[in-house]
Amino acid sequence: MLKHDVVIVGAGLAGLRAAVELRKKGIDVVIVSKVYPTRSHSGAAQGGVNAAFDENDSWESHFFDTVKGSDYLGDQDAIEILTSEAPGNILELQSMGVVFNRNDKGGIAQRPFGGQSFPRSCYYADAVGHMMLHGLFDNVLKYKTKILYEYFVTSLLTDNGKVSGVVAYDIKNGKFEGIAAKAVLFATGGYGQVYSSNTNALINTGDGMAISINAGVPLMDMEFVQFHPTTLKSTGILVTEGARGEGAYLLNSLGVRFMSKYAPKAMELAPRDVVARAEQTEINEGRGVDGAILLDIRHLGKERIMERLPQIMQLSIDFEGVNPIHEPIPIRPGAHYSMGGIKTDYNGRTAIEGYYSAGESACVSVHGANRLGGNSLLDTVVFGRRAGIDIAEYLKSAAEDRKFDESAIKRDEEKFEQLKKSAGKERHGLLKSELQEEMRANVGVFREENAMKKALDKIGELKERAKNIGIDDKSKTFNTDIVEAFEFSNILLIAEVITRGAILRKESRGAHYRTDFPERDDSNWLKHTLATLDGKGNIKFDFSEVAITKFKPQPRTY
Amino acid sequence: MEFKVRAYRFNPETDEKPYYKEYTVEDYPGMTVLNALIKIKSELDGTLSFRRSCRSAICGSCAMKINGITKLACKTQVSLEIDKFGIINVEPLANMPVIRDLIVDQEVFFDKIKAIKPYLLGQREDAAHNIFKTLKEGEKISQPVYDKSEFKNLTGNEDTPNCILCECCYSECGGVVGNKDYLGPAALAKLYRYVEDPRDIDKNGSRLVNGSMPNGFWDCVHCQSCEQFCPKGISPVKSIVKLHEKSIKNSITFSSGSKHVVSIARSIGETGRLDEIKVAFESGGVTGLLNDLPVAFGAGLKGKIPPLRLKLIKDMEDIRLAYKELDLEDKL
Repeated sequence: MLKHDVVIVGAGLAGLRAAVELRKKGIDVVIVSKVYPTRSHSGAAQGGVNAAFDENDSWESHFFDTVKGSDYLGDQDAIEILTSEAPGNILELQSMGVVFNRNDKGGIAQRPFGGQSFPRSCYYADAVGHMMLHGLFDNVLKYKTKILYEYFVTSLLTDNGKVSGVVAYDIKNGKFEGIAAKAVLFATGGYGQVYSSNTNALINTGDGMAISINAGVPLMDMEFVQFHPTTLKSTGILVTEGARGEGAYLLNSLGVRFMSKYAPKAMELAPRDVVARAEQTEINEGRGVDGAILLDIRHLGKERIMERLPQIMQLSIDFEGVNPIHEPIPIRPGAHYSMGGIKTDYNGRTAIEGYYSAGESACVSVHGANRLGGNSLLDTVVFGRRAGIDIAEYLKSAAEDRKFDESAIKRDEEKFEQLKKSAGKERHGLLKSELQEEMRANVGVFREENAMKKALDKIGELKERAKNIGIDDKSKTFNTDIVEAFEFSNILLIAEVITRGAILRKESRGAHYRTDFPERDDSNWLKHTLATLDGKGNIKFDFSEVAITKFKPQPRTY
Repeated sequence: MEFKVRAYRFNPETDEKPYYKEYTVEDYPGMTVLNALIKIKSELDGTLSFRRSCRSAICGSCAMKINGITKLACKTQVSLEIDKFGIINVEPLANMPVIRDLIVDQEVFFDKIKAIKPYLLGQREDAAHNIFKTLKEGEKISQPVYDKSEFKNLTGNEDTPNCILCECCYSECGGVVGNKDYLGPAALAKLYRYVEDPRDIDKNGSRLVNGSMPNGFWDCVHCQSCEQFCPKGISPVKSIVKLHEKSIKNSITFSSGSKHVVSIARSIGETGRLDEIKVAFESGGVTGLLNDLPVAFGAGLKGKIPPLRLKLIKDMEDIRLAYKELDLEDKL
């Protein structure tokens, strides 16, 4: 049994940012992560982080762009915080050691991004997530933070209506550990692995969200899944929006810049939902190139590509066999980001006292129905920081009025041991592939009731078959077989929440597009969906109001 | 097309020593070695253990030896390996103890990263107004101004901040092979990254002193492996050489490595020749000289005895000019 004041689960940007805030104040924190912190998927973010710095730009403009980008589902009180705290957060990161490219005036260089009315995406070539992750990790080391890495969290515990800690599985030696705490922050990232053809790491299995809904914490707006318009055709690996920010064209098989038809003003720099749908339409109507669209950066020239997009060049060569200096890159939409997540307020608080979430695992909601590029990194640091500050405040008054239920450690251990003993013939790796393909095909860029019901049937079938999963690996040392089996159970649950929410929401808004309900319906659906589990483990939905403070919903065109 | 993967296997719970296991996998165009390992794990043998995460060469999890060479499995194409070797041999990284199969214990590697204090030690004064604030309506924020050139060694795409800590360099490092306490290329590249940071008030101070201690940057054996095997095109050895240069420029020359360099420079500057006895003495002192005696004795037996008095070479004037050009006159 371990005991700390704060447990932070997840060591990506949001978790590390919160940890730095707490450690600066000398608070007793432990970071628990299923991978070493620098392996976290924040590091794969490429293009930029938004903040209004230029004298001709304003945070209010960033505020409006984000509200419009969210298709008016984002909570405006939270978006106001996101955008008005953005420049301060970026400068703070810079003072902590993060390096950004410079502009000619000596300030932070910024590039255009989709749905932004001003070039306000700060960058470090095309590896800004990597730079921020390593910069924050360095600060976590500076403040001598305890890190339990390669620990897989299996349960969130509460007592007396308050959080009491977590149970974690030590992957290195197979031992279960209880960690009691007065505050727990989940910064566990998204669920991209629900879909085949995604940009996400293999670790992005929605664990934190699944644990939360099991612990009675509502998940909000889970039907809103972002499909990134430019992912490599063969592997789904991300090609930054920064490529289009630098001036890349999207071409169909006729060599036409087809975005003129879908977003005549913004063209390639329309928001991601708009571009992804345009691409899918072109492909579906027979104007694709082997099921893909072409991203052309040749006209930028070798020098600019090498300076601004070096990672994109290398990824295209290594993973697609295409050198973008000489040839256009074949790309297609791929699952990228979870707008939905654990419902929090703008201080990271959830429905359970002492339990917090921040980053992609959380839904504040600042992204609403569609996140703008460059706003996710911003979300992690703004709300990671705020959660850290709020937790520090909370600890001042938090009493020792909760017990850590030690039987939970035994219970989780028993679950693992039972599964290891199972003589089942189903392989979780194969079930996962079936699920991912079903979700891509039927709960993807375009959605329709009958197809989604088919997906729901498939999920039901997979739930049955999952009861017969067998585990090859019986050992305790680095048993990733059993960890993956539990990750699969998490994505299966998340897939069901997404699908049921998508069937329920009978309108089209942002990334959620229903061919059977193609219009946005503000009179019935300008509201958040909240998913919880009933006593029998069935998913049920409630709704909550959207905070509209400054901008009344308008038609959304680009 | 089918191909074979031959994987290093070791489970401390059941195996007395490591062994290799062969798997047959069906290829597809664009398949990477990581794809092959995932296919084996999900379809054939769930016990095969390896680390993996991003699939796109940015997280650094899946570094391993592939056909004897340290690489990231995620960016290694199966077809290229098969063309060259006819098989995919996978083994764990070297220079670190194996926990299981392809998984090594990274604790020491990360301890060495921590040891170089990888963070700004303080802030330059003109950056101090970077205090966080929430902007009110109509309010703007002013930002500190840095000239582009100040970050010129940190913003190139092969500069050290692009390091992903994948341990490829560490696995191939000749310095670590000879001395397990040597900090190694990744940690020293990180040290250089902070030495070069214009915001750090420690510029050329304690970092270079600490890095000059035993196991630091003077212990590099210049084998160039770190540069050769870096999957991100970074050259830690170049960073290490720059750390050498900076130390000497700042007269941080207490280590035998730096004394060695200074002594060679002086010898060439004075005579145009290498005075081996003097260099050995000036680098390591009396103990150094005594340590080198067996080597000297062996060389003597082969008739290779350095002259006790060196004659000036003819073109001394050229050497003086070169030293002047390189701003090294004060080192003479």
